[in-house]
Amino acid sequence: MNFFKRFAQNRGALVGLVILGLVVVLALLAPLLYPDSPWRMVQRPFLAPGEVSGFWLGTDVMGRDVAAGLAHGAWVSLLIGLISTVVALAIGVPLGALAGYFGGKIDDALMRFTEFFQTIPNFALAIVLVAIMEPSTFSIVLAIAIVSWPPVARLVRGEFLSIKHREYVEAARLVGQTHRDIIIKQILPNTLSPVIVLASLMVATAILLESSLSFLGLGDPDTMSWGYMIGAARTVMRQAWWLSVIPGVAILLTVLALNLVGEGLDDALNPQLARAR
Amino acid sequence: MAYVSLILGRVGKAVIVLLAILVFNFFLIHAAPGDPAAVMAGEAGATDQQFLDDLRERFGLDQPLPVQLWRYMSGVLQLDFGYSYRQQMPVLDLILDRLPATLLLTGAAFCISLLFGIIAGTLAAMRAKRPSGSIIMGLALLFYATPLYWVAMMAVLVFSVTLDWLPAYGYSTVGAGYTGLAHAGDVAVHLILPALTLGLFFMAVYTRMTRTSMLSVSQQDFVKTARAKGLAPGVIQRRHILRNALLPIITLAGLQAGQMVGGAVLTETVFAWPGIGRLMYEALMQRDYNLLLGIFFFCALLVILFNMLTDVIYRLADPRIKQGAT
Amino acid sequence: MTLLSSVTGRLTAAALSLAVALPAVAQETPQSGGVANVAIQPEPPGLMLPLVQNAPTQRVAGNIFEGLLRYDADLKPMPQLATSWEISDDGLAYTFHLHPDVIWHDGEAFSAADVVFSADVFLRETNPRTRAILDHVASIEAPDDETVVFTLKQPFPAFIQAFEVGTLPIVPKHLYEGTDFYHNPANNHPIGTGPFEFAKWDRGSVIELDKNPDYYEAGKPYLDKIYWHVIPDAASRAAAYENGTLNIMPAGSVENFDIPRLAEMDGSCMTEAGNEYFNPFAMLWLNNREGPTADKRFRQAVMYALDRDFARNVLWNGLGKVPNGPFSSTLAAHDDDLQPYPYDPDKAEELLDEMGYDGEPVRLLPLPYGETWTRWAEAVRQNLEDVGINIETESSDVAGWNQKISDWDYDIAFTYLFQYGDPSLGIARTYVSSNIAKGSPWNNVEGYENPEIDKLFADAAVENDADKRQAMYDQIQQTLHDDVPLAWIMELAQPTIYRCSVHDLITTGIGLNDGFKNAWIEQ
Repeated sequence: MNFFKRFAQNRGALVGLVILGLVVVLALLAPLLYPDSPWRMVQRPFLAPGEVSGFWLGTDVMGRDVAAGLAHGAWVSLLIGLISTVVALAIGVPLGALAGYFGGKIDDALMRFTEFFQTIPNFALAIVLVAIMEPSTFSIVLAIAIVSWPPVARLVRGEFLSIKHREYVEAARLVGQTHRDIIIKQILPNTLSPVIVLASLMVATAILLESSLSFLGLGDPDTMSWGYMIGAARTVMRQAWWLSVIPGVAILLTVLALNLVGEGLDDALNPQLARAR
Repeated sequence: MAYVSLILGRVGKAVIVLLAILVFNFFLIHAAPGDPAAVMAGEAGATDQQFLDDLRERFGLDQPLPVQLWRYMSGVLQLDFGYSYRQQMPVLDLILDRLPATLLLTGAAFCISLLFGIIAGTLAAMRAKRPSGSIIMGLALLFYATPLYWVAMMAVLVFSVTLDWLPAYGYSTVGAGYTGLAHAGDVAVHLILPALTLGLFFMAVYTRMTRTSMLSVSQQDFVKTARAKGLAPGVIQRRHILRNALLPIITLAGLQAGQMVGGAVLTETVFAWPGIGRLMYEALMQRDYNLLLGIFFFCALLVILFNMLTDVIYRLADPRIKQGAT
Repeated sequence: MTLLSSVTGRLTAAALSLAVALPAVAQETPQSGGVANVAIQPEPPGLMLPLVQNAPTQRVAGNIFEGLLRYDADLKPMPQLATSWEISDDGLAYTFHLHPDVIWHDGEAFSAADVVFSADVFLRETNPRTRAILDHVASIEAPDDETVVFTLKQPFPAFIQAFEVGTLPIVPKHLYEGTDFYHNPANNHPIGTGPFEFAKWDRGSVIELDKNPDYYEAGKPYLDKIYWHVIPDAASRAAAYENGTLNIMPAGSVENFDIPRLAEMDGSCMTEAGNEYFNPFAMLWLNNREGPTADKRFRQAVMYALDRDFARNVLWNGLGKVPNGPFSSTLAAHDDDLQPYPYDPDKAEELLDEMGYDGEPVRLLPLPYGETWTRWAEAVRQNLEDVGINIETESSDVAGWNQKISDWDYDIAFTYLFQYGDPSLGIARTYVSSNIAKGSPWNNVEGYENPEIDKLFADAAVENDADKRQAMYDQIQQTLHDDVPLAWIMELAQPTIYRCSVHDLITTGIGLNDGFKNAWIEQ
């Protein structure tokens, strides 16, 4: 069975892929659908969904179009989720690879370092980092990446430990390939499947984390993200429930879709494990 | 003997990690813009240079950073965590004052999530091919994907404001003057919503984990052997599959038990739970360096303790692991 | 402004307090008993009011401590620890006659020595705002146990405004003299003379105050207890008020958007009274030193670009006032004839064109005080972008905000200041060049320098003739209005929401900070 067939066998994963596709399309089309800034105050505040035509999701506390916010927010949330995951991978993969490949003292030192970050409670550290660097897209992405790389490093290290004594690696060593080549060309490609699965879940977690930070008022003041929308709407939850429900559902669906896709990837990439992870 | 030196080694490493965390956080927090004196001056609504100088001198903030670090660390080595600048109380008192509330909250949430997570996960694994199994997993996924603070807000709205079944916030009824059992009952009622909210997410995590773990264990040879021997399915589920499937869950739970303490900030904020997570957030905002460092120390300590505890439980649960193996 | 140059005898004082109390009391007689459950946010760092200048501390500890005077809604002095007072004709000597029967919560007798110690020793060391006011004072003396005389260096008519509990709280000399004020054990169990005594503080949950059974005003206070509930989340506070746990919500307890809903509930009342003494005034600091904001035309353009009525109507529920200039309209010195800058985006664009604004980015620093202020910054950003100003919003927490303002590291920044009852107490500090110094967010941080304004403020503060003083203040308002050293955006309203069964909650211009001496609950 090839990759796509195995993926498609998981019906949940297909549903997830469709939802995720819609979100991505929404994010890409946002500048076309709503060319104006989502911050513009365009109508009376607190319009319920559908109350005035053209504002099918209503307006927020200041008369801004919720639909425009949702579309632009899709872009921001996905981007923050993706970039922070990429940054986390960029930290975690090399550290895990070096630790697993070389073992011994290097492994010991790198794992102490990883443990160190795992010993500080994640969310607390993220809050401190964002507060110190002052909230901006950059600081939020960096903070999320810093708290989410340790599991990557551990995973990659584990994979390296199990692969580094396989025959083809020994063979590469015998023909005199450099450590660099062995790590990058021989071992790393074979560790990718679990890393991809983990990454898809990390994007989901990052989106949740960003929204939690926004909830505490630690969001980027210049970007309209879903987390910001919920944070801003929570004070008016009793008057205008839709303002917090709409972006909340958007987050829920996106995170759900990413998880479903992650499971599908797991099925497709690690058939022998049968979702053992 | 080997066991003792193993323990000593672990403790030694833990102490080093804790001290490293303190130093790391010390520089981190001092890198933040503003200092406690600036915050207090800001809150006073009026200030002058003398006021700021007085404050900084009183707090020792007029000293060079290395000197401040040295003073702080030498205090910590004598188990003196200093004074909270803002609250003018020893940091240790403040933390010990708040720690029980957090431990109660996270402990309850932990037990709820672990118990129900494992039950739900087991059921889902046993009914993997039936609709009921899919429903359990669907619900778990839903809880997993919902922002925690959002659930908290909704819970208050439904159960406190609309239905008026449970208190919306706080640790106990103010002014009720309950003692003994009545007090315990009162606290328990207040505990329900926050503990459930906090537990829901982790319950989803454990449910999913238990299911995958059980499914994967059930494919392994020793289970097949048991089946071939003709053991009753119930016995196989309990004695062979569940027991082995729990191992990765213990590891994860141990990791998360420690994390929960620091991660309870949101829940404690929404429910006005007088715990350490909220104290941490306030200390951060007020640049109450000593207090913040103290809280980080205790959170890290808890993580380490839980990790050690996990190891012990792991050893007890898994007969294959022998002393000394890591 | 009319000043009580001489008020003598307890009769006059009693008449004064009656005049204030009458409209609020209606015909009902106060009933004793009952408990006040009040929201407090954030949790105060301590309750030793003379030591901690912090809004929540003042709010709670205003029940424990007392000042010599209180002030009605027109800022006329009312008796408290002082039953009567005189000001000499040259405006230099202020004589206070103290209540004879006052005792501290620990049973010691209160006397003039406590007042002298508080003003001359304690507050000079600990309170920067009081210290600045006491700079005008040459000596403080107690001729006998019931009399205190403040002698000024030169006339300072605003001085009579300085005796409220937050500005000049009286400290027990017998507990603090000769000690380290900051580490005195009494700080954790503050001892005052007020109508309520400190009982208990569960950090993070609740502060308990008990009725002072030996209070010197017979029959008062009426309430048995006050619980101050520490609830960090605004929505939870609202929920607690709705389900009846709380019966008093001080200003700032709930987000503005929630105010109409809570105020319109059955049996719920709202009042805007009780902030006349403080006059909170929202402004945008505009950095006069560098960047586009250094150009007067740019600053004027900002004034024209701001839709201040929108902010008032949408963000503040129509509460508060759009100011016409630098002075709050409740001040006696306010110039009613000054024409406010209208909302006129075209005019703003014209001014920007005239100065040749090239789209240089301008940083906007919001005030990190909750959702309303965040939304307000978003509205201001939109207003300014609409006229072509390139805005970059910065974000920071309270500490970062303080640091940036204190270091002048901003282009446009939100703030609000108390103007207090007199321009020399709360307004001059923002504009006079002698107050340009880094290190405080309450200085002249915009960097406005105008020798004419400096002189006018200095002269007006010590001018004993009301008409001459007013002429100077009119001149100041006109000049500032044209120069726009900063943007005046709103005279803030501070609505208190409470159950209507609570009576006489606010009876002075100091509001809830003045304690619950007169409050009672209909049983």
